[in-house]
Amino acid sequence: MGSDEEDFVFHGTPIEREEEIASRKKKAVAGASGNLRTLPAWKQEVTDEEGRRRFHGAFTGGYSAGYYNTVGSKEGWAPQSFTSSRQNRAGARKQSISDFLDEDEKADMEGKSLSASSQFDTFGFTAAEHSRKHAEKEQHERPSAIPGPVPDELVAPVSESIGVKLLLKMGWRRGHSIKEVRASSDARREARKAFLAFYTDENTKETPDSLVSETEVETSLGEDIKISESTPVYVLNPKQDLHGLGYDPFKHAPEFREKKRSRMSANKEVGFRKPLSMKESLFGPKSGKIAPGFGIGALEELDVEDEDVYAGYDFDQTYVIEDEQPARQSNDNRLRLTSKEHDVLPGFGAAKNSDYSMERFNPPIIPKDFVARHKFSGPLEAETKPTVSAPPEVPPPADNNLKLLIEGFATFVSRCGKLYEDLSREKNQSNQLFDFLREGNGHDYYARRLWEEQQKRKDQSKLTLDVKVSPTVQKMTAETRGSLLGEKPLQRSLKETDTSASSGGSFQFPTNLSDTFTKSASSQEAADAVKPFKDDPAKQERFEQFLKEKYKGGLRTTDSNRVNSMSESARAQERLDFEAAAEAIEKGKAYKEVRRATEQPLDFLAGGLQFTSGGTEQIKDTGVVDMKSSKTYPKREEFQWRPSPLLCKRFDLPDPFMGKLPPAPRARNKMDSLIFLPDTVKAASARQVSESQVPKKETSIEEPEVEVEVENVERPVDLYKAIFSDDSEDDEDQPMNGKIQEGQEKKNEAAATTLNRLIAGDFLESLGKELGFEVPMEEEIKSRSKPEDSSDKRLDRPGLKEKVEEKTSSLTLGSEEEKSRKKREKSPGKRSGGNDLSSSESSGDERRRKRYNKKDRHRNDSESDSSSDYHSRDKQGSRSRSKRRESSREKRSSHKKHSKHRRTKKSSSSRYSSDEEQKESRREKKRRRD
Amino acid sequence: MSATELPTKEAHILKGHEGAVLAARFNGDGNYALTCGKDRTIRLWNPHRGILIKTYKSHGREVRDVHVTSDNAKFCSCGGDRQVYYWDVSTGRVIRKFRGHDGEVNAVKFNDSSSVVVSAGFDRSLRVWDCRSHSVEPVQIIDTFLDTVMSVVLTKTEIIGGSVDGTVRTFDMRIGREMSDNLGQPVNCISISNDGNCVLAGCLDSTLRLLDRTTGELLQVYKGHISKSFKTDCCLTNSDAHVIGGSEDGLVFFWDLVDAKVVSKFRAHDLVVTSVSYHPKEDCMLTSSVDGTIRVWKK
Repeated sequence: MGSDEEDFVFHGTPIEREEEIASRKKKAVAGASGNLRTLPAWKQEVTDEEGRRRFHGAFTGGYSAGYYNTVGSKEGWAPQSFTSSRQNRAGARKQSISDFLDEDEKADMEGKSLSASSQFDTFGFTAAEHSRKHAEKEQHERPSAIPGPVPDELVAPVSESIGVKLLLKMGWRRGHSIKEVRASSDARREARKAFLAFYTDENTKETPDSLVSETEVETSLGEDIKISESTPVYVLNPKQDLHGLGYDPFKHAPEFREKKRSRMSANKEVGFRKPLSMKESLFGPKSGKIAPGFGIGALEELDVEDEDVYAGYDFDQTYVIEDEQPARQSNDNRLRLTSKEHDVLPGFGAAKNSDYSMERFNPPIIPKDFVARHKFSGPLEAETKPTVSAPPEVPPPADNNLKLLIEGFATFVSRCGKLYEDLSREKNQSNQLFDFLREGNGHDYYARRLWEEQQKRKDQSKLTLDVKVSPTVQKMTAETRGSLLGEKPLQRSLKETDTSASSGGSFQFPTNLSDTFTKSASSQEAADAVKPFKDDPAKQERFEQFLKEKYKGGLRTTDSNRVNSMSESARAQERLDFEAAAEAIEKGKAYKEVRRATEQPLDFLAGGLQFTSGGTEQIKDTGVVDMKSSKTYPKREEFQWRPSPLLCKRFDLPDPFMGKLPPAPRARNKMDSLIFLPDTVKAASARQVSESQVPKKETSIEEPEVEVEVENVERPVDLYKAIFSDDSEDDEDQPMNGKIQEGQEKKNEAAATTLNRLIAGDFLESLGKELGFEVPMEEEIKSRSKPEDSSDKRLDRPGLKEKVEEKTSSLTLGSEEEKSRKKREKSPGKRSGGNDLSSSESSGDERRRKRYNKKDRHRNDSESDSSSDYHSRDKQGSRSRSKRRESSREKRSSHKKHSKHRRTKKSSSSRYSSDEEQKESRREKKRRRD
Repeated sequence: MSATELPTKEAHILKGHEGAVLAARFNGDGNYALTCGKDRTIRLWNPHRGILIKTYKSHGREVRDVHVTSDNAKFCSCGGDRQVYYWDVSTGRVIRKFRGHDGEVNAVKFNDSSSVVVSAGFDRSLRVWDCRSHSVEPVQIIDTFLDTVMSVVLTKTEIIGGSVDGTVRTFDMRIGREMSDNLGQPVNCISISNDGNCVLAGCLDSTLRLLDRTTGELLQVYKGHISKSFKTDCCLTNSDAHVIGGSEDGLVFFWDLVDAKVVSKFRAHDLVVTSVSYHPKEDCMLTSSVDGTIRVWKK
């Protein structure tokens, strides 16, 4: 700081440079924690709280080590107290953890337990608690057999608390309640007497220092008992039997204990305590519903299912239940039980009826016209005086246009408020059409309509609120929209709607106005017009998403989780549908543009119809409930049910689903379903359901199908095999597969395989890319494909076909082609004639193509194999290169040990040989393949 | 058959069960009877002489149902311990335990050839267990029920289950169809007529309903007894002339099958009649009750 800085006044502390602080802090922290964690272990130092080094090396440390670490006194080690064992035999000294703790550790331990120091222990609770615990512990260690109450003097606090001291100073004596003490009597003696009186009656009589006469004792006793406030502690279960300590004969049969106790108490205090009724004694309050006689196993716990539903019945008449006891009594009983003692003090009886009674107040009387719900008048309703009384129902005016206008206007006014009505009244004063606003034609009807609309709005206020809250306004259904716009569900007649449709323009007027307030309704309707999947809202939603993606472009979202529930093939199928639908829409758009004007009312009509249909559905639902009481039951429904083959076998019945694909096994986990469950299975099972709805074709055809499906099931494994093993086995498989495939003839099967191929093609492509190959375009197949093939379903979706041909690469080998052709010719019997031919042909084609695909894969694979050969060769080369390098290095570094050198050489040579072998085997494989 | 020909005279009273007896079943030829109850035992009786033959103990909780094979060699039982036991009659040993139900098992039945056991459980499922193989997995799980399945009956080709969801569902193995007859009331017990054309369903609205099996039509309704909260059985006489139902007040009712008149009713027990079983050939009936007794009734 320079001299010129002396003029300044500094506030606060200057900011230090961070590095300094950091390093200092580090040091401080390290120092505080006693060891520098950041340092390596051998540099760390252990110090005690005063910063002295605690551990020293064997030859270091010197005085410090000897003085502080071991003895802690200048004189050196000396035993703290010596007791001669002659007189005083040292007992087994109990060691505690504190014997092994340092001071600082002890201090730590102290800090953990929170307790009031005796100084501030106002009422001596802590001390009392301590001493009680201590006493308890002692008692546990050497159980006392003293029955009866233990006076609390025995477990009095060790040190007196401040509160007690104060009280004592003020003249309070132990065992007394805090009140005026009789001056004449010796408080201590009285207390003692009281205690003795508690103990036993006999003792009192024999008390040596009782100078008072017996009668006096009696009287004073009573008083003293009143005086004494602190309740004595009782031994709850005094030992009164002759069993060994800790032995409980009723451990597993608590009911008998209760029984015995009741018997004993009945013997001892006749008339005092009624034996518990059997039910009560047996099972206690919780398990009162367990069937008598049989407990469940020792290892099991009582459960809900152990409740005895028949518990209400006393099935055996041997037990006597005191039924004459009023319900009140049992209540008292329980109260007594909860008060911890099972006996009442000798000489006392339980009150038959307690003075305590709950004071009950009647609820306030609600006035008759009180409405429980408070209505907030909204901003709109504030302007319009809510017409409480409904205007009388008036027939609509004869003029339909006027009627519509009124209705529309009423709706709009109900939405926009009275203000609008006033405004338009002013504006349209001259307009004849708006006479209904001024007591003119149709005013009554208008009033009625307005009221209706307002009522409706009130009902829907909640709904609209919801709509406003939810950000997805698009999700509005026709119903909500209709209700929002005040559209009336079609109820009266279709004729009316017809007229409304014809005069749609005039009706549109309020809604168009309201467009300024809300979302454009017309656009909504336009969107409605292109709803090809109206019946399936979820699908429709997906379709819209699809459209959005298609037209807006941008990054395509990976399908969100809601689609995850669909299988791969179903998704692909849907996508195709969407594409087709989108195209259709695209095409139809121009046409629609023209027709828009006429279309719209129609649309509205449709919406209305939908609306009403929804209404009727609701009615039907409620009807179902009603019908429960009426005679529509029993109702019969039929479902598909698939017995397992084994079940049929056990019942000696032919399996109705014999030969059909077994239902998709339940996926153990997600991975299973991901990897080993191809979509064809799912698709097939779905298809199967649809098929079996119309059970017609029987086993003869389906036999081969199964096998095919099975093959499909194993497809991923096949792929795996195709990639990682040579295809000699596959060649062997071929004839069998071929035969099977010829027999195949389901159209949808073909569709499934198409999808399959799509996926497979995808896979192929990606595989090819990965291996750096250009997957060649399909040529031969195209040329070979028969005209029947074009009748295939795939043609319906042009986009797909292209894709398929793009993706399914086929490089067929001539020999393969011939083989398959031969096979086809070999098995002509399996082909069924007629219409099926084409489909079978096409599906056969599919099959073949698929096989080619497979072959392709193999080929790719083989090529990849060779490429890998190449790679390995390359590697070999590099290796040899590296070897060369090594040798050069060796030359350079001649100081290297010879043995090491030899080792490396050996290993490399061995590697070499193994490589050679591999190469050989590969070549052999190739030869075999050729 | 007039009312006098009905088995209304007590022939024997079988005592031995401690606590409620939950089911009493004749064996295939009607010479013996198996009963089971809350005391976790199954007892084999000769009801015609009124003697206890054997007691089977292995169940961990109450035994709810028992059924004997047609050859009297094996029987199966089920109960609160969620297992189905497959027993050997003569040795009294458990051959197999079928675990898999997630709740108490309410009813078991063998099929005709005694190759499978079908159990109906609280877990809303029917499970078919294989007795032939050593597999402990169910052959089939039928879980189309919406609520507890209370009772199951087997024919040669069908499995019929009655459930608290108010349906009687028939699973036909020949055509692979499930026929669901919704009665609108919780079904407590079902039993099939001896000609196999009708199903008698005891519902918890104190009504027995007779259904035509082929059409699902309601043929007749029998009322008069009390069946609201307990599992009480109902059955038909071996001649299909009368319908028998136990009541929760200890009475047993006989209705005429056709005109649904109460032909006879008498006090069989003091407490809930849990089960009634009719002799396959003679006019003899077993009733069991919560009062711990089984009574044999003859004419």
